[in-house]
Amino acid sequence: MQLPEPPKIAAVEVVPAQPTEADRAAIAHMGVKQAYAVYVVKVRLKAKPPVTSMAWVLYVGDERVAKYWEYKDGIYFVVFDPQFFVTHKGKRLRFSQNDTEFFDTDMELAPAPSVAESSAIKLPLQADVLN
Amino acid sequence: MTIAEEAAELRNPGLPGIAEFDTLIYGSPPLAYPAALSQYVIYNTPDPAYVTGRINVSAFANLGAATPWPFTNTNVPLNGHICIPRGSGPFALAVFAHGNHNPFENSTPGYLYLCQLLASHGIIAATIDVNFLNGFNFGENDARAIVQLEHLKQFRSWNGTAGHPLQGKVDLNRMLIVGHSRGGEAVGHASLFNRLAAIGPVILDGSAGLGPYRFGLSAAAAIAPTDRQFVPATGPTVVPDSYFIIHGSKDSDVFTFEGYHTYERAHAVDLANPTVSDGKFKAMLWVHKANHNQFNSVWAPETPPGVAMPRPSQEQIARVHLGALALAVLLDRHEYFAVLRDHAVATAWDPAATELVSQYQDPQRIFVQHNQEGLAPAVVSLPVDGTVAADGVVAARQLTALVGGAPTTTITLRLAWNSAGTRLLLQVDPATLPAERYKAMALRVGQSNEAANTANRDQDFTLEVSSGSRTAAFRASSLHRMLFPDPPPIGPAKIVMQTLRLPVARLVECGVDPNDLRSVALVFDQRQTGIVYTGDLQFTN
Repeated sequence: MQLPEPPKIAAVEVVPAQPTEADRAAIAHMGVKQAYAVYVVKVRLKAKPPVTSMAWVLYVGDERVAKYWEYKDGIYFVVFDPQFFVTHKGKRLRFSQNDTEFFDTDMELAPAPSVAESSAIKLPLQADVLN
Repeated sequence: MTIAEEAAELRNPGLPGIAEFDTLIYGSPPLAYPAALSQYVIYNTPDPAYVTGRINVSAFANLGAATPWPFTNTNVPLNGHICIPRGSGPFALAVFAHGNHNPFENSTPGYLYLCQLLASHGIIAATIDVNFLNGFNFGENDARAIVQLEHLKQFRSWNGTAGHPLQGKVDLNRMLIVGHSRGGEAVGHASLFNRLAAIGPVILDGSAGLGPYRFGLSAAAAIAPTDRQFVPATGPTVVPDSYFIIHGSKDSDVFTFEGYHTYERAHAVDLANPTVSDGKFKAMLWVHKANHNQFNSVWAPETPPGVAMPRPSQEQIARVHLGALALAVLLDRHEYFAVLRDHAVATAWDPAATELVSQYQDPQRIFVQHNQEGLAPAVVSLPVDGTVAADGVVAARQLTALVGGAPTTTITLRLAWNSAGTRLLLQVDPATLPAERYKAMALRVGQSNEAANTANRDQDFTLEVSSGSRTAAFRASSLHRMLFPDPPPIGPAKIVMQTLRLPVARLVECGVDPNDLRSVALVFDQRQTGIVYTGDLQFTN
């Protein structure tokens, strides 16, 4: 049997959305100042690998994405602090299965659209962003 | 007592017991499962006495948006199957959790074969629905842990509910949590979370729905688990309860034996207090030819035909060894610890010609050499005083992960020799080693597939133990086989050490005085060349 191949990324998109109640609690716990929006980073995959217990850990540059979730076109993760996009501007998305060997995807983290606090109420729900 | 004598006194724990039991479904109806999720409709008609509520896991996990679950992460159901012994109880409780799999296939019934076994021995056994966390997701194993703890809470609630069929029937101080795959990683987190008042912003006092827990967990058992997919803010989870792990050499999903890292972190030596034990044991079973999926009876094998052992054999091994664990920790059948200490006790019950490797660390132990002082040359570990001398053998501490995968923090001692008769000699001050207080000397050692070892041939050497002028010699192979690594289906071969247990009584029979133990030597006189890795040398129970 062959070692599994890392997923291939077709596109990366960042969509601001309304925080959920759980997001708000986490944001408060983290002490993030700009708490009125979250950023859904949608990573569209060319093909989804089979569901296994071993996982492809996603990195942005050297930062491990703690959690990501499946949606119909790929995976997504949610960023609470917009500073994340400043810190990781231009950084490559990478996959690893063991935190030692990395596979570059040739795709960079997309920039986050700016969100004015006054317009945050009009942001879509995360569930709608993923449809 | 010899291994044969111990085995003769035990009944096969993989065979059904005499208790009659009922199997029923519990669940949180009504849920409008769509046709694509028709396998879950069974949970809409639970036993009327076993209707459950919902829980909010949104602080820990989203649900995969590619699966049309008829609920959100704020109200996931507590669904499961239970096997309940007939009688007044109270009965110990075991709860199984599956791992990641295609969410359109219900993974939950896959452990009913184990639940039925345990129930026949007088244990309430459940297998729970965590399918809503399945899919191409990552990092959700904290949520899996929370779900499993909330199921335990449900049992506690039923136990305390006047008029409920389970009122007073659940022994809340005898609980075993078992998880497979990502669910296996999650039992480690559950063991940790069980002791916490909060996880980040989530208060576990019940005020927001989750917790409180603080169950009397007798042990956590992991079947082919992952490791460190979820990492707490405090660092990789160190399982605080007694821990058991089983994993197959032909696992083609979790192909790097991730759980070995969990095992090494659990109940490790405390360098500041090396004689202090946390009172917990850990045990490991490495099963040659077992794959990943066949531990779950409804998952199709992930290996091509002919690669892994037949499914009935793999299920038999699970029955025997998890059965022994359950009898030992839940029913106070302490004699079944013999199976955990040495898998040879179960030879007659396992499928014929099964090759196994096992490790066991007892809570009562003193390390003669644990190797965790650093990468400097090997020493005898404090508080035992002594010296280490390598005569013709190259002894080097190293941090290489023996089982592949993520980096390890556990140091092992690599011993390489190119001619017969070389030796590693540990000389100790007998005043600092109370060997007479213990039942066995235990050495963890395993061979690699490096060229110095002959492929498919057991490695062997001689253990020499001396007190004063008396020396007793034992072939390592008389204590256990030291198997050549089984070729894995994916990635590098795993070096899995075997715990060799030499009873102190045998030393005494040979004239060695454990009150005056002076040296232990590994004499490499059975093979011209070889490379072995040792983990630790202990006197232990």
